[in-house]
Amino acid sequence: MDWIVEVYNYRVVAQFIPEFTRGIAATIWISLLSLIMALIIGTFVAIMRLSANPVLWRIAAGYVQAIRSTPLLIQIYVIYFSIPALPLLDRRLDELEGGIIALGLNAGAYMSEIIRAGIESVSRGQVEGAQSVGMTYMQRMRYVVLPQAFANVVPPLLGQTSVLIKDSSLVSFIGVFELFGAGLVVLSDRLMPNEAFMTVAFCYLVIYWVMLMFSNFAQRRLGGARR
Amino acid sequence: MNEIKILEAVMPFLLEGLWMTFKISLITILCGSVLGFVVGILRMVGGWAISTTLGLYIHALRGTPFLVHLYIIYFVLPTTGISWLQLEAFPAAVIALSLYTSTYVAEIVRAAIEAVPRGQSEAARSTGMTYLQSMWYIVLPQALKLMIPPMGGIYVIIIKGTSIVSVIGIAELVRAGEHATQRHPKELMLIYGMTALLYFAYCYPVLRLARWAETKFGSVRLPS
Repeated sequence: MDWIVEVYNYRVVAQFIPEFTRGIAATIWISLLSLIMALIIGTFVAIMRLSANPVLWRIAAGYVQAIRSTPLLIQIYVIYFSIPALPLLDRRLDELEGGIIALGLNAGAYMSEIIRAGIESVSRGQVEGAQSVGMTYMQRMRYVVLPQAFANVVPPLLGQTSVLIKDSSLVSFIGVFELFGAGLVVLSDRLMPNEAFMTVAFCYLVIYWVMLMFSNFAQRRLGGARR
Repeated sequence: MNEIKILEAVMPFLLEGLWMTFKISLITILCGSVLGFVVGILRMVGGWAISTTLGLYIHALRGTPFLVHLYIIYFVLPTTGISWLQLEAFPAAVIALSLYTSTYVAEIVRAAIEAVPRGQSEAARSTGMTYLQSMWYIVLPQALKLMIPPMGGIYVIIIKGTSIVSVIGIAELVRAGEHATQRHPKELMLIYGMTALLYFAYCYPVLRLARWAETKFGSVRLPS
C-alpha cells in the first residue's frame, strides 16, 4: 500500500476533511443561490425576449449577447469591483455577494435562452384556449404557458445547472472559499498538489454524477422536449 | 478627460494581451478540433471497450471545472517526475484547453453523425459498402456540414476559457487587465470594462458568423 501514499497521501486528505466538507457545502450553497437568481432572471428575460415591444426584446437580446460574448471571469471582476462604485449602495459588496450576483447574471442569460425555447415549444392552441376563456396576459403566462414551458426544459436546465456548479469554482479568484478554494488551502498548507486537486476533481465528479442522475430521472418522468 | 489618458496609457498592453488570447485560442481550436474529431469518430465506430473508455473521458472532463484541469496539468503532472510532463505555462494552458475543447467537439461530431438520416448509411450498405466505407464516403461528408455552425459556439467557449489561464501566469487579456489595474487602481471599472469590450469585439462576430452559418448549412442541437 505504500505506493498509494507516494502518489496520493489519503492520510493528508483525511486531515483536511473539514475544509473539503465546508468547501462542498459552500459550492452547493453558492450554486443554489445563483440558480434561484438565474431562474428568476432567465424567466423574465425570456418573456422580454419574446415580447413584441422592440425596446424590451432589444434590451433582453443585448443582455444575452453581452453575457455570452464575455468570459465569466471578467463578469465577476466587473461586478465585484464596480457595483460598490454605484451610488445606490453605500457599502462594498463582499466577495460572496459579488460572486453570487455575477454567477446568477451569467447563468441567467444562458437559462433565458433555454426557457425561451421552452415557451416557444408550448403549442399555440394552449395560448388561444387561455385567451378564449378570458385570461389576461399575466394569467396566461402564470397558469398555462410557463408551467408547460418549464416541464419541457427541465433536463437542459439541469445541464446548465451543472455548468453553473462548475463555473462557481471561478469565484475562488475573488477570494470566496468554496470547493476549489479548499484545494488551494491544501496546496498552500502542504504543497501537495495531487492530494489537493485530485480530491477536488473527485468531489466535483460526484456532484456532476448526482446531477446526471437527476437529469436522467427528470427526462424519464417528464419525457419533455429535448433541446 | 482623465479616463481617455488612462485608456491611452493602458491600451497597448491590453491589445498585447488580446493578441496572446488570439494566439492561444487559435492554436487551441486547431488542436482541440482534431483531438475531438478523433475522439468523436472513434467513439462511434470503435468497439464497446473503446467507446466506453472515451465516454468516461468525456464525462470526466465534463464533470470537473476547467480550472481543475488546468491545475492538474500544471501542478499535478510535474509531481510524477516524468520529464516530458514538466510543462511550461503556455503548453500546459494549450493542452488543458485542447482537452476541454475536445469533449465539446466529440459531442458535436456524434450529434452530427446521428443527424444524418439512417437511410443514407443503409443505402450505402445495401450497395455493398463496408461499414467504414459508408461512414467515410456517405455519412461523414454530410455530417461535416452540420458540424460547422456549432463550431462557432465552441470557438467562443475557447476564447472565454482562455481568460482562466491567466491564473498560471499567461499574459493574456485578463492578465493584462489585472496589470493595468495595479498601475491605475482607481480605474478598476474602466479597465475591466475595456477588457470586457475587447472580448466582446472578438467573440460577437464569431457568434454572428455561427448564426449565419446555421441558416446556410443547418445545424445540430447539442445536448447541453
